[in-house]
Amino acid sequence: MDGLDLLKKDWKKSESKYPKLSYNEIYKMILKKSSSIVKWIFIISLLEFAFWFGIAFLLKGTSFSGKMQALDLDAVLIPISIISYLVIFYFFYLFYKNYKNISSTDNAKVLMENILKTRRTVKYYVIFNLASIFFGTALGIYYAINHDSEFIEKLQQASVNGNETTLYAIIIASVIVMLIIAVSILALFYWLIYGLLLRRLNHNYKELKHLEA
Amino acid sequence: MSTELEHSFVELLEKHQNIIHKVCRLYTNNYDAHNDLFQEITIQLWKAYPKFRGDAKFSTWMYRVGLNTAITLYRKSKRRVSTQDFEGVAFKMKAEEYDNTEEEQLKLLYKAIHQLNDIEKALVFLYLEDKDYREISETLGISEVNARVKMNRTKTKLKNILNP
Repeated sequence: MDGLDLLKKDWKKSESKYPKLSYNEIYKMILKKSSSIVKWIFIISLLEFAFWFGIAFLLKGTSFSGKMQALDLDAVLIPISIISYLVIFYFFYLFYKNYKNISSTDNAKVLMENILKTRRTVKYYVIFNLASIFFGTALGIYYAINHDSEFIEKLQQASVNGNETTLYAIIIASVIVMLIIAVSILALFYWLIYGLLLRRLNHNYKELKHLEA
Repeated sequence: MSTELEHSFVELLEKHQNIIHKVCRLYTNNYDAHNDLFQEITIQLWKAYPKFRGDAKFSTWMYRVGLNTAITLYRKSKRRVSTQDFEGVAFKMKAEEYDNTEEEQLKLLYKAIHQLNDIEKALVFLYLEDKDYREISETLGISEVNARVKMNRTKTKLKNILNP
């Protein structure tokens, strides 16, 4: 018998010998898409960082940055910036690790654990960023009150006129309003982007759980 | 992605999974590599599924995506696919009905196929699947004439490997 004919005969005979994967086994394979969601979380966090970094860069040399420099904040600002960059880089590392873990997992149980872990990381990341905004603003105000000569002058004038309390009330009220606006914009941004990704992850998680049951 | 889409996809794939197993059989030579490639093809099929419009048969479409995935992966990691010993699969697929000479011949045949390049493997695969030249040309994206020429060359090459 010709070699190719023999091969064809064997090929046909083998038809029934291949492993038969069940519906659930195949389904779990396509749930691998979780890894692409986690990859996006990693990429978006990097883009977001680049965005804020870009804004800081653009602000350099403007009147705002001149004013900041006049406040002589370097002693406080530099260590704070270093710490926050370190924390942010640590988050990048975690996001990347999550992505690597998830993309190399084919066990549904481990995949579920990793999904939960990723959700937690994102949650902490958002909390950290919101808290940074909050403390950053508070710190800025504290310094403005104590160090900004223009501002101190205004305060002194107000205390001479006897309406110091009103001025403080106005400051506190406007700060609160500004903070609420800033935090809500950021929270909305996170809710839209990370929230969407997390909802998809959650969807995958529920399906996996359903399959496990 | 809707769950309905997932459901229809998984059902179709479950039905036609042999196509993927067969692609894996020609492009890999051990159990782990087989499973890896199977999973990779499944993911690629799933990614491409929203674009599958049903103007071709699902199985035809699977041939195309499956072979493309195997070819791409084969090119990316040539060493991983080609250097390992091929004995493992040969033993798994051993058919009791063959006599010793035929079995030996088959072993040599599969070994020879593993020495072919990625496109030649695809041609052998489609030949074994009894595809006509029109289907082969569609699946591989080459002209029918070209498919015919390449097929003949591949068969000759295979014979030359077997009878040097």
